[in-house]
Amino acid sequence: MISSRKAIAYGAAFVVLFSAEVAPEAPLGLRLVPEAQAIVGAPLTPGSVAGVARRTTRRTVAVVGTEEASEASAQQAAVTQQQAATAQQQSATAAQQSATAQQQTAAAQQQAAAAPASGGALPLGTVVPSLPADCSTTTAGGVEYYKCGANYYRTAFQGSNLVYVTAQP
Amino acid sequence: MPAAADDRGAHNWTSEQDTTMRNQAMKYISPVGAMPSLATAAAIGSMMLALMLPGTARAQAAGVDLDAAKILKRMTDYVGTLQRFSVDTSNTLEVVLVSGQKIQFTSASRNTVQRPNKLRSERIGDLISQSFYYDGRTFTIFNPGDGYYVTVPAPNTIDAMVDFARDSLDVIAPAGDLITMDAFDRLTDDATSGFVVGKSVVGGVRCDHLAFRSGVVDWQIWIEDGDKPLPRKYVITSLDVDQAPQFEQLLSNWSLDPAVEARYFEFTPPPGVKAIEFLPVGTAGAKP
Repeated sequence: MISSRKAIAYGAAFVVLFSAEVAPEAPLGLRLVPEAQAIVGAPLTPGSVAGVARRTTRRTVAVVGTEEASEASAQQAAVTQQQAATAQQQSATAAQQSATAQQQTAAAQQQAAAAPASGGALPLGTVVPSLPADCSTTTAGGVEYYKCGANYYRTAFQGSNLVYVTAQP
Repeated sequence: MPAAADDRGAHNWTSEQDTTMRNQAMKYISPVGAMPSLATAAAIGSMMLALMLPGTARAQAAGVDLDAAKILKRMTDYVGTLQRFSVDTSNTLEVVLVSGQKIQFTSASRNTVQRPNKLRSERIGDLISQSFYYDGRTFTIFNPGDGYYVTVPAPNTIDAMVDFARDSLDVIAPAGDLITMDAFDRLTDDATSGFVVGKSVVGGVRCDHLAFRSGVVDWQIWIEDGDKPLPRKYVITSLDVDQAPQFEQLLSNWSLDPAVEARYFEFTPPPGVKAIEFLPVGTAGAKP
């Protein structure tokens, strides 16, 4: 519970292009939201009017929290926010919405609880919005990696957000 | 749906009949007969418009007022005719924390479009620098400050690119719908209601203010009144997210013939920047 509250949840994919959108980058988000808390719902705002109606893909927004240096361990909490069903069900009732919210909260807590304990290696493919402290860079196969503790990260775009993904060089 | 259409039709018919009757009465009691006649003419004109515009007729059947559909269609048609334009946007995006607290993020961008298949958008006056390039063949996101970019093959029209970016890349332009060639259908396909709120002024420009509901999304748009029906403000309210956060966009500095060359839309990586990849859509965080 506590770790889930501290986890930073990040909605990827906010907006872009013509609208300019755009989500706050992770580091900026950390500063703006010091009490890292999971963000409810995905997308955080509707991507577009047509997007809600026409979206066919199952959209999952990844999140993960990195604890700040004050925390002894780099506990990671992942919250998977799934919007899928609601996006296609145009007539979501209030009851359904609240059920969805509870479901998301439950999922967040569940996953936070199941997150790896202190200091260990994270599962490959873990997405974080910012790197832990004390990382060094290394290049393998033409790809740049950050080595932070037991983990290697590579940089990637998730939607329009820059994120870091655990990888095996 | 057929029932709604029937109701609507009956309502229109009744209204017109009322108007006609009132007009006839007015002829006897009012020295000025011109105004009622105009009202009747307007009603007939509206009906003809409904017949002539399939999209409008469909929207009306779904509960969108004819006047609202007419003003919206005039805007989408007009924007569709613009072969080249640039516009600045000022955006506010709300997010909702688990606590229920709402936070707003603001950003601004300058956007340039050349139909049928070129677009460039850059954040301006912001802490974070990010640019989007679409040249008809590829789509690129470039973060100059971080020194990273990603380029992927893209469809060959703006409409298809907007869909591709949303569905395949999770890169969403809330207002991207407005610049597509089928903007009217995109906006009204699922509209359950729509009406004209009234006149309003946005950024010193007189506008018609429209409000629509589309399933889990409520949205409003302010369209310039006059011979250049451009969108001036756009608000999307997400009803399926707790606290119903909103996306708001103000559009200003419309230029209808910006001087840009084709290469303006092409991305050439500066020395030293690194190409990275998109995470596949649906990639979650840690999966313990």
